[in-house]
Parts: sequence; structure tokens; C-alpha cells
Amino acid sequence: MKPWTASRLLATCGISVALWAVIAGACLMVGSTGWGWPTARELALRWPNVMVASIVGAALSAAGVAYQAVLQNVLAEPYLLGVSSGASLFAYLSLMATGPLSSILAPLSQQGASFLGSMAVLALVLALSQRRGKLEPVMLVLVGIIVSTFCGAAYLLVYHLNLRHEISFGTGGPLRLLVGGINTSLSTNQIAVAACLIFIGFLALMYLSGQLNVAVLSEAEAQSLGVHIDRLRWTVMIAASLMTAAAVALSGPIGFVGLICPNLARVVIGADQRRLLPLSTALGAGVLAIADAVSRGLTHWTSGPLPVGVLTGILGGPFFLFMLWRSRLTTDS
Amino acid sequence: MAKPIDYRFLRIFKMPLMQIDQLDFSFGVRPVIAGVSLSLSPGELVMLLGPNGSGKSTLLKLALGHLHGHGTVQWNARPIRQWPRRQFARHVAYLPQSPWYQGDQTVSHTLRLGRAPYWHAFGIESDHDLQVVQSITERLSLQDLLNRPMDELSGGQRQLALVGRCLVQEPKAMLFDEPTTFLDLRHQVELTRLLKSLAVEKSIGALMASHDLNLAAAFADRIILLHEGKIVAEGKPTDVLEPPLLQRVYGLPMKRIDDGGRPTVIPVL
Repeated sequence: MKPWTASRLLATCGISVALWAVIAGACLMVGSTGWGWPTARELALRWPNVMVASIVGAALSAAGVAYQAVLQNVLAEPYLLGVSSGASLFAYLSLMATGPLSSILAPLSQQGASFLGSMAVLALVLALSQRRGKLEPVMLVLVGIIVSTFCGAAYLLVYHLNLRHEISFGTGGPLRLLVGGINTSLSTNQIAVAACLIFIGFLALMYLSGQLNVAVLSEAEAQSLGVHIDRLRWTVMIAASLMTAAAVALSGPIGFVGLICPNLARVVIGADQRRLLPLSTALGAGVLAIADAVSRGLTHWTSGPLPVGVLTGILGGPFFLFMLWRSRLTTDS
Repeated sequence: MAKPIDYRFLRIFKMPLMQIDQLDFSFGVRPVIAGVSLSLSPGELVMLLGPNGSGKSTLLKLALGHLHGHGTVQWNARPIRQWPRRQFARHVAYLPQSPWYQGDQTVSHTLRLGRAPYWHAFGIESDHDLQVVQSITERLSLQDLLNRPMDELSGGQRQLALVGRCLVQEPKAMLFDEPTTFLDLRHQVELTRLLKSLAVEKSIGALMASHDLNLAAAFADRIILLHEGKIVAEGKPTDVLEPPLLQRVYGLPMKRIDDGGRPTVIPVL
């Protein structure tokens, strides 16, 4: 047993970054033109993809850890809670309102709308799935998915009613925020704003990571261990929703990254949130970078670039069912 | 030769850890606690007895400030509402009736959580935090279990780990809500004996809600008998455990056997 010191914290973050860097490096070797050491031209085309995928994956995975801890539900993640879809709907609406994005203000307003959407949906889902003040894990996810489906339908409705098709939405067109995908048409401002917000959210979660360990206990125990549990829950959910919203404004709702990565990391390194958070974040960044690389590598066989949300959905669906089946086993016995 | 000064007279200045005065509490219109006054001093094990619904758990929650009623609850002569929560957690430990834990969390993780009220931002621990965990591990002989996940332990081992978490808080007082409920006979006795000896050796005031009259008879320094939210008797086990009183409170005819000065009470079935 060793104390969790500042140096161990930094070492863990260092290892996490190194893990991600290796994966990201490998992902640079893959492109729509084939495998191998990239030429300078290929590198210039690929690195924005890898960076955006990593930022988005990191945000979704960190948010997953946070939601899972404060909602005491291993199935909670931005996509299944509907938070991602709410954010994407609002981001789309703000895009329609502001038109093409160029200045620093536009990405900020899009981020703001996205955050508003994520918080609105989270509050709605929490309110609807509460029964006698209790949150039942499967009920929460059920309500989340239904609200998410609704947001998707509302998105399409707005799209079909909309006549402002002259607005440029970049690659993927106006539907790019409906199915999660890594975009290459984002402005540097947009990426920078999202990265800053995600980093702030991550720092806030790390600051609270000790208290997150206590949050998984009962309320009475958390109080007796000196934690203001309500205050903590709200702070953490706001931080996680901020990160989700920032990621979704870049990529649209990408499912299951926030479910798979934290749960895999938990199996490997255990339940201590102080280690789980940085490692899951790095794992999320790596996994989405890989998924993006695979989808770029598959371009040869697919019609146009494959949205990365398709891949995470194909992998994540069965993973979710497995988690559900396993949680059934443990709660019934 | 001069006689050494007997400092025991200073005891009159020793304040109780906890002092509750004329406490009332109700859920809606139904009174749950009515006019309760009690105190807790360092080094004593006080057992809170009473049938289901007599207000034992509620009284513990009121003492902890998880619920607020009318009347005063003071710790170290300071009203409960004025205690910052982290500071209070360094002073008083609490084990609820059904504590939660993640199945995959190890015993050492459980113990370390007891230091949460002392952690810095980012959950940073000091060397002292680990030393405390170490010494409690040795005191409770948990060395061999440290790396075992909680859901692989027996009920007795799990409860021991959770008691360990409370001790790791280095509290002046510990409040337990029926800690022996899910244990077999031997572990019930062992856990209560352990709590009693910990109270003495670490000079901790221990308040324990329980259903077991005979455990209380054997180990409690003081028994508080609750009935419909009121204290109906308080004092030494020999004084409180009187069959007529118990019959009134529990609604069952009771018989008492005195064996070597220690009473044993059994229901007459």
C-alpha cells in the first residue's frame, strides 16, 4: 500500500498520456490511401482527425466515469443518458441560427447551445426516471434512450422543415451532428474552444476524484465521511455535461465510448476513481482514435467515409447487453 | 512521603462528547422522537434498545445531523448545525444498517476511504493516512484480507472491514445502527466484544442500536430503552432489563435469569 501522492498522480497522468500517444502514433499510420509511414502530406491530413477523435473520446469517457460514480450506475454514459443527443440537437439549432462558422464567437455560441441542451436533457431524464426519490439503474437508461430517440427525431424534423440549405455544414452535411463522426472541416477555433472546455471539465473532475470515491457509497455514509453529496453530484454532473456538450459540438453523439472505456479500465485497475479517471480518459481518447483510424482505413470498401459512431455502436451495443446481463446476475442473486 | 495528588476530581470538568436535550422529531404529524435527552462520554459503550419503529435509527440520524428536529444536539458543546461536515467526519464515525460498497472494491480500498475526511484536493493522501490504515489493519487482523474484493468476504469479515473504515477516521465517537444484524451468533458476540474493547482502549464513545438484549446485558456500560420515541429506562443492564418493563415495551412476557450478577432475559413462549 502506497499513499496517493502528488507525484503518483502526475505519474499516473504521465502513463495515461504515454498510452494515448502510442495509440495515436499508430493511428497516424492508417489512412484512406493505405497503411504505412505517412508522408508529410498524409500526416497533415491525418493528424487533425486523430486529434479530434482523441479529444472527443477523452471527453466522453471521462464523462462516463463521472456519471457512473455520482449516479451509482455502471450503465450511465453520455449517450445512453440522452445527454449527447440533447447536446447535438441544440448545437444543430444554433448552427441554423448563426449560419456558417468563422469567428471565435460562433463556436462559443454553438458550445453554449450544446451545453444548454445537455443540461436540459439530463435534468429531464433524471426527473422522469425518479420513482419515490430513487433512481433505478435500468429505468434511467431506458428513459435516456427514449429521450435520445426523441431528440434524434426532432433533429430530423427540423432538418426537413428547414429551407436554409445554403448554409455550409462541412463534410457530412447538415446531418453530421445526427450520427457521430469525426469531421475534418472544423475550424481551428472550434477545436481549440472545445479542447479548452474539456480540459477545464477534466481538471474539475480530477480535483473532486477523491470525493467521487465516497460518492459511490450510500448518502448517509458519504455525509459521514465529510462529503456534501448533493453539492458534489451537481458539480460533477455539470462538469461531465460540459465535457459531453463540448465533444458533441465537434462530432455529434458518439455512443458507448463512455460505457466501454471506464468499465474496461475498472476491470484492469480497480475501483479507485483517482486512478480510474485519468486512465479511462486516455483509454477513451485511444479507443476513439482507433475507431476513427479503422473507419478511414475502410474507406476503400465503403461508400464515402464511414461515420465513427457506426463502429462504436456496432461494438458498444453487444457490450451494453453484456453489462446488462451481468448486472441482472448480480442484483437477482 | 507526600501523597500523590488524585487528579480524578478533574473528571467533573470532563464534558460529554455528545449531549442531546429535549429532542423532538416527527415525520409529518407522526411523532417519532419525543423529549429525548441523552449523553455519550468517551470510553463507554451505550446500547440503544427498543422494538422496531421505536426510533432507534432516527435518533442516531438526529445525533449525526442527517435529520434535524426540535431541541438541541451538541457535540463538544457545539451545536450540530455549526459543525463543518469534514471536521465532523474526523470526530464522529457512523456505520448505517445496510452500508453500500462496490462489490469489486478491495478491503484496503474500503479502509482507505475512512481517511476521506483528511484527504487533500485531488484525493491526495499523506503518509500519516496510510500509517493509520496500517495500524487499524493490524489491530483488526485484516492483513490477509487487504486485497480481497468485498463481495468475496463472509458477512463477519465484511462488517469487520467496515468497522475498520470507521476506526480509520480516528473518531472520538462511533455510532452503529444494528451492526450485528446479518451475523451469526459467534460473530455477533465477537463484534460486540470488539467494539467494547475498542471503546475502552481508544477512549471512543460508542453508541450502538441493537435488538439483542443479552448482548447488551453482557457488554453495554449503559442501556437506553426506547419505546414509541421516548426513553422509558436508562442505566446499567441490571437495572434496565426488568421483565415487567420489557414486557410492556416488547409486548411479550419475559423471564430473567441472573447468573453471576449478569442478567439474561428470554421471552416466555
